[in-house]
Amino acid sequence: MAAMARAATTSDAFNAIAEPQRRDILVLLRGGERPVTELARDLGMRQPQASKHLRVLREVGLVRVREAGKQRLYGLDARGLRPVHEWVGGFERFWNESFDRLDTYVQDLKQARQEE
Amino acid sequence: MSATGRGAPAQSATADREIVISRVIDAPRELVFEAFTEVRHLSRWWGPAGFTTTTRSFEFREGGEWDFVLHGPDGTDYQEWITWTEIAPSERIALRHGESRDDPNAFESVLTFAPDGAATRIVMRTVFPTQQLRDEAVEKYHAIQGGQQTLSNLAAYVTDLARKGAEG
Repeated sequence: MAAMARAATTSDAFNAIAEPQRRDILVLLRGGERPVTELARDLGMRQPQASKHLRVLREVGLVRVREAGKQRLYGLDARGLRPVHEWVGGFERFWNESFDRLDTYVQDLKQARQEE
Repeated sequence: MSATGRGAPAQSATADREIVISRVIDAPRELVFEAFTEVRHLSRWWGPAGFTTTTRSFEFREGGEWDFVLHGPDGTDYQEWITWTEIAPSERIALRHGESRDDPNAFESVLTFAPDGAATRIVMRTVFPTQQLRDEAVEKYHAIQGGQQTLSNLAAYVTDLARKGAEG
């Protein structure tokens, strides 16, 4: 059971952001890139714990890392949020699904006109 | 239009409060356009799968209105109201969309129909009065489609995050 939960968490962004501390990390990173030491300090967690969360967030593409001198800086990766954003985007979904039906309907209409 | 200065694609001044959806349909544009002009057509496709409409009144002309109820698959009814502000046959339809004639939160959509080979590209550009109303509409439509209430806070949160992420 625990193993299943871990597997799911690292395979998609939805599960990754279900964990409150990981959401806190994302909120902090909105302000710009930060090293793990600062993130851990601001969130009152130990560094290994913060590193573990960052690893999960990187695996689902929500966070990226780059080397800057001796430091590793973590930042938001908006691409990973896209599937979440699109899923949330109810208005887009409403219209994309309406246009699916429109497409089907127009194909029927086209065929009916050709048969006339 | 203002330059972003970051080499990003040019964005319109309303980019933060609009939603653009496009679709290519394999049919001549006169036919695609026709599917928007009569209630007997519209009622066959308006809304996601499982949704139906009941029309109270319908008059497809500039200044005309479509007053209808949208029925969700779970039995929930939504009052809908549309007025056409511009109709250019086969090319363009501009409309205002709200819950009633005096809905202060009504928003505008412009649909353009362009030939794409033998097919037709529809682009629907919806501009909300404010960014907040856009976000509320996204939430509302999310709820219409059976989104769980408990998820709405998370939904608002990640929408905000995605926007900030995209800006950064």
